Amino acid sequence: MNTFIIVFLLLLGAYFVAVLEVWISKGRFQLAAPLFAAIAFLGRESFIPRKPDQLFYEVGPVLLLLSAVLAAAVIPLTPDLIMTDLATGALFINAALVYVLVALLMAGWGPDGAYAMIGGWRFLGQLIAYAMLIVMPITAVVMRAESLLSTQIVISQAGLWNIVYQPLGFILFFIASMALAFLPPFDLMIAKGELASGVEAEYSGMRLAIFRLGRLVLIITLASANVIFYLGGWQGPELFGYSLPPWAWSAIKILAVTMVMLFAGHYMPRIREAHLLSWCWMFGIPLALINIFIVGVLLLEFP
Amino acid sequence: MSPELMIALIAGAALFGIGIYGALSQTNLVMILMGVELILAGAMVNLVAFWRYLHPDVAAGQMFVLIVMTVMAVEMAVGFGVAIARFRARGSVEMEEAVELKG
Amino acid sequence: MTVQAFFIGFFGLAAVWFGIVVFRTFSMMRSALALLFSQTALGAMFLSMQAEFLGVLQIMMMATEMSIMAIFMVMFMMDPGGLGEMEMTHQKRLSLIAGFVSFVGAVAVAVFVDWGPVASTFPDATQQTVELGLELLDRSMLIFETAGITILTAMIAATAVAIEPEKKSVTDEP
Repeated sequence: MNTFIIVFLLLLGAYFVAVLEVWISKGRFQLAAPLFAAIAFLGRESFIPRKPDQLFYEVGPVLLLLSAVLAAAVIPLTPDLIMTDLATGALFINAALVYVLVALLMAGWGPDGAYAMIGGWRFLGQLIAYAMLIVMPITAVVMRAESLLSTQIVISQAGLWNIVYQPLGFILFFIASMALAFLPPFDLMIAKGELASGVEAEYSGMRLAIFRLGRLVLIITLASANVIFYLGGWQGPELFGYSLPPWAWSAIKILAVTMVMLFAGHYMPRIREAHLLSWCWMFGIPLALINIFIVGVLLLEFP
Repeated sequence: MSPELMIALIAGAALFGIGIYGALSQTNLVMILMGVELILAGAMVNLVAFWRYLHPDVAAGQMFVLIVMTVMAVEMAVGFGVAIARFRARGSVEMEEAVELKG
Repeated sequence: MTVQAFFIGFFGLAAVWFGIVVFRTFSMMRSALALLFSQTALGAMFLSMQAEFLGVLQIMMMATEMSIMAIFMVMFMMDPGGLGEMEMTHQKRLSLIAGFVSFVGAVAVAVFVDWGPVASTFPDATQQTVELGLELLDRSMLIFETAGITILTAMIAATAVAIEPEKKSVTDEP
């Protein structure tokens, strides 16, 4: 039962992200735009390259959608609404999100075309940059919670949200999640100006719809992960003894983080994965290690 | 002698055998590395099976598995560094052509 | 046959089948991704043996490592797409015999040795993680630190071997 509710909410969130993307790119707030776009996708002709690697060509977009939904399986929206409260929840999110890379590699190699293949390998370069920046801030968060259970991580932020306790970790995790979801300015692999849409170049029709849907669900999943690790999940301050129900706080926070993610990179130039690699490995990883050190010292000083 | 332990040990033995076949029969350095990965995977399955069914209260069993994972990662890193250097020197990483030190 | 035995058998079979595909297919990319899914099946085997932390860790690490192996295959191998269908093995009979002998030997040891009583209780997942953490930082701290320094040395060594030496620029000469 929980599974169906959460999948339905994920699709609702994906619809909202699609509306936001239309708002950013066209400047108008059209609530029905994703619906028309989905119907158009179903009706369009589906081009297939001449000699694709059939297995990879078909499996790529599906694996992207699957890994995004799997990563959302351990994210609690309210204290009871969680698909499965694994004892290693924080690590499982990371494990499921690595398969986004495998999906993009398959989608890049499958169509047997140069543009898609280079787009796929560019994402591998990005992964080497952002992978450590996802794992190390999660380590600092888990240090405070003293448990890998995601519900326990939210409960440990009852006194002070992690964004105030570990701001450095939040900035690094936010940037790394934007790079994982290949949002602008890290969207070298699917941008329209780069290699004729890179990985999306050879997909059309139903497969492109699933690819795009997988990407939208991935954005919502990453926003939820940001919220439960750093923004206190379903908890909110009380005002005159009244407080919103937990699901309302979760919804507001997730939608706010999504809006910041989408609007933040819109005006920045696209970052090449070579520059991202040097920035992350020269500045990002030392900062993440300093973050772990600072959190350790804080935890020992103020029990 | 539980059936689960047997099945896990047989699977580990099969992976080990396939890994030895691959490591001995392939001519390319990258494929030999894949064979070695399979050998270490077989060893890991055996370790976890022994930990789970014979001594589950000793955490050193899981520690051993972490060390084997570390060895896999390190061996891959150094192996690929050597492959790059060899490729730059000769233009291929085929082991059949690596006869400079022979005889 | 309990449910656990069924799952271990299923994932073990998947791991072995993907392992065979690694060496039977001609396409190098399929070979690398088959190895990836073989390691994923291995991680699933760990999960069904209730070693939760190890299973999730295996699934996560091996996806990254095998993807890096995939790009190295495309860089270094002659026919990454596999459409040329080249046969790239040597001493095939010797290696088949060696593989088979080692498999039979390991199975014989597994079947004929008396492993002792099977444990009836095991710690649950949260307790396992806590105990593993305590073991790492308390009793096996020296091993852990040595492993960390070994990884760092290997990273530096591999990067140093792979850096291309600087060539003198032609435009510098008068």
